[in-house]
Amino acid sequence: MILRTPPVQRKRRASSALDHESPVSDRRLVVYEDPAPVASHDHSDQLVCTYQCRQMLGVEIGQGTGMDSAFPVKSEVMDALSLAEKQVIDYQSRVETLEQNLTRSEEERKRFKDHLDFVEQELAASKGREQALQQQLLKEVTEFQERFKNQVKHSSELEVQLRKEADLRRCAESSATAAKDKVLELEKKARHILESSEREKKHLQKEISYFQDEGKLSCSRISAELERMKMKADNAMKESELLKKQMEEVREQLNEEAEVREARKLKSLHANTELLKEKLLEEKGRREKAEAEIITLEEVQMNAEKLENELKIWKSLVNMIPGVLCFDDIPQKFASLQKEAIDSTLKVGEVTAQLKELEIALESENLCRQQAETQFALAKEKAEDLVLEVKRLKLMLILLALNLTPNYFDGYAKPVESAVVGAVTEERDRLSKHAVTPNKLRIVDTEGATVNASLLRELESSLAAKEEIIKAFESDLHKQGEIINRQHDELKVLNENLNNEARRIKSLERESDRLRAEISLLESKLGHGDYSTESTKVLRMVNTLNIDNETKHTIEALRSELEKAKAKLQAIEELKGQSEAGNLIDAQISDKLAQLKGQIATLEKREERYKAVFAEKISVFRRACCSLFGYKIVMDDQQRPNGIPVTRFTLQSIYAQSDDEKLDFEYESGNTNILVNGYTSQPEISHQVEIFISKMNSIPAFTANLTMESFNKRTLS
Amino acid sequence: MASKTQTKDIITIKGSAAIVSEFFSYAANRIPFASSILYNRGVYPEESFTKVKKYGLPMLLTQDEGVKSFLANLTSQLSQWLEAGKLQRVVLVIMSKLTSEVLERWNFNIETDAEVVEQGVSREKSDKEIMREIQVIMRQIASCVTYLPCLDDPCVFDVLAYTDMDVAVPFTWIESDAKLIKNPQMVKLHSFDTKIHKVDTLVSYKNDEWDEQ
Repeated sequence: MILRTPPVQRKRRASSALDHESPVSDRRLVVYEDPAPVASHDHSDQLVCTYQCRQMLGVEIGQGTGMDSAFPVKSEVMDALSLAEKQVIDYQSRVETLEQNLTRSEEERKRFKDHLDFVEQELAASKGREQALQQQLLKEVTEFQERFKNQVKHSSELEVQLRKEADLRRCAESSATAAKDKVLELEKKARHILESSEREKKHLQKEISYFQDEGKLSCSRISAELERMKMKADNAMKESELLKKQMEEVREQLNEEAEVREARKLKSLHANTELLKEKLLEEKGRREKAEAEIITLEEVQMNAEKLENELKIWKSLVNMIPGVLCFDDIPQKFASLQKEAIDSTLKVGEVTAQLKELEIALESENLCRQQAETQFALAKEKAEDLVLEVKRLKLMLILLALNLTPNYFDGYAKPVESAVVGAVTEERDRLSKHAVTPNKLRIVDTEGATVNASLLRELESSLAAKEEIIKAFESDLHKQGEIINRQHDELKVLNENLNNEARRIKSLERESDRLRAEISLLESKLGHGDYSTESTKVLRMVNTLNIDNETKHTIEALRSELEKAKAKLQAIEELKGQSEAGNLIDAQISDKLAQLKGQIATLEKREERYKAVFAEKISVFRRACCSLFGYKIVMDDQQRPNGIPVTRFTLQSIYAQSDDEKLDFEYESGNTNILVNGYTSQPEISHQVEIFISKMNSIPAFTANLTMESFNKRTLS
Repeated sequence: MASKTQTKDIITIKGSAAIVSEFFSYAANRIPFASSILYNRGVYPEESFTKVKKYGLPMLLTQDEGVKSFLANLTSQLSQWLEAGKLQRVVLVIMSKLTSEVLERWNFNIETDAEVVEQGVSREKSDKEIMREIQVIMRQIASCVTYLPCLDDPCVFDVLAYTDMDVAVPFTWIESDAKLIKNPQMVKLHSFDTKIHKVDTLVSYKNDEWDEQ
């Protein structure tokens, strides 16, 4: 605590100074103290002085007695007294002035004392402030030292992290070189794939051109056939028209009967023309189908091209993926790629987290450094302010000292001056001492300030060194930051590549799902029975199990056609014979006749073949049945009045003794019934019919029993 | 430990065609039993079948002359088409006699090795292996009776052949529609491969009314 008010010692010093001063000041007037005070002089107090004068005793006594002898001495004495009185008065006045001067000097001395006290107080306060500032400076220095230590630690840690980052950078560089190598390999593979895809493309283009040529050929064939059919139809139409004309001409020439025949011929010709028209329509339909098929062919070609492109893309994508040889390897490769992508993203995340932590540490260090610099600047300013204050105080003290010393040597008399001078000198000495003591204190303060300045310089030098180190670290950190930014960019590129690969993988998965769906759809279509009408036709086998009836119908139809053709031929031959003109028409008709004859011949041949074959089969079957079962079977198809077809079988045993021994059966939709006739109405036979057929419902048993009986009869007979 | 190595037999296109067409004929015999169809009552009674062993399995073959001639014509034509590499598919269609509605479709899809057809080269495969594969299919055809709907009404057969467009239509064959089933149930069976012809079997049938309910 700084004491503003000086201690009591100062007052004591002042009182001692006064005591010391009084003899100095009273050197000119000696104070005499009468040990035995004169009582007789009580009534003449006005004349009592301190200075005892023996001569004056006589004067006083003489005044009472009036003695003249002593008067010549009295006048002198009186003169002397008057002189002395005057001197006394002068001296008194001088004493008063001196006393005034003394009071003034005392006042001034008090003032200077107060001023000195104030200055001393201020000095103490400044000392206290200096001490406080020194303590603060020491604290700040210790704090700065600690911070510097921490910064050194941080810098060492940053160096370690820098080394780690450098290692990571090297690893990243190595991975980048490996990735570049992979990229080069992939590029080579891509080139190979492009070459192979181009070859496949060329091959597919060749195939497409081949298919196109085939399609064109088929189209041309179809169109040629269509044209031929058209020509045929046109020829047939022309022939029909010519025949019509002929018929009309013949009509005019021939009778009513001939007209009827001609009408019949015309009808047949009409029927032929209608058949030809139908054939024309069929051919037209076929032509339309062919045209539609051509259109569908083009569409299929387009689809094939699209599929080819998709297949190329698919193949290229599959082959671009390293380590994939077939479609089955794709899911595994996708899984491995996904795992690698996940691992790389995790690593990237870790590296970015570390980078962020480093950046945060750097920022905090920078902030601490900035704070330390600001505090150092503030401390510097404070120290400079303190130095300025000390200098100012020093100047003030010097000025005070200079102001005090001249006032004490001017305007004092010698005898009193000596005492006054002595007092003044005593005061000057005291003031100089007081001036010296602040100077001494100032010297101490300046020494402390120099120490502070040296400490500050040391701190500044250390700060500068640390700043240089920090700058070096900052430059390294900046470089590392650039490297890290580059790595960030590379990581971004890798991430983009990973995202692209992931997108490709997703698109490939979608393609595979789509292809699987297509495969399942195609399989379902296959199973359903769908087919392409361009490349496939469906043929149905005619059921030869019913071929007998159908062949009969076809035989009958062919027979009717034959008869018609024969009638036509006869009519034409008759017309030929009758008509003279028409050699050209004959030629055309003869050509047609030749064709028809050829057809008729083929049909007749077929009919004969069928007949022969069926005859053989039927004869073999009948003979076998006869030999096996012992009955000759005759089959006859009939129709009931209600239109239901019925088959009648007539059985005659080989052991029959007469031709009347025949059994009639009727077969209808799987059911066989025996018919009553003359032979079955016999009692023996009817009895057997009742037992075997009616009761036991077994026709084979009846026929077997009948065979046995007939055999027995024969053998016995 | 001795390792069994099957001796491989040389197979030509004619031989493969014969194997496949024979398979069709036996399958046509077996399918009616799988479909639990009763042959036309009285015309093809059960007594008209003989038991033979084929593909290591007991097979019932009809002795009806009409059916036999039908199957003989069928196999001869199919083998011709197979040798020419023109046959794509054979379908055995079972229809209702009354309504002509298609109830079952036995689809035999055929993939032919074009190189063999064009260049006449042969392949190697063990006959036993082929017979074993056919045996599996025959067993599967027989087991189809467990899930195929029962066909009580009289039914008729029809044989469809899917051929190339440039095939000449024989006398006993006519062009026809595919005779498809609406919303069929499909069951895929095994396949067999002679290295020249690969045959995939699939049966599609009309949903039974009880199942739909």
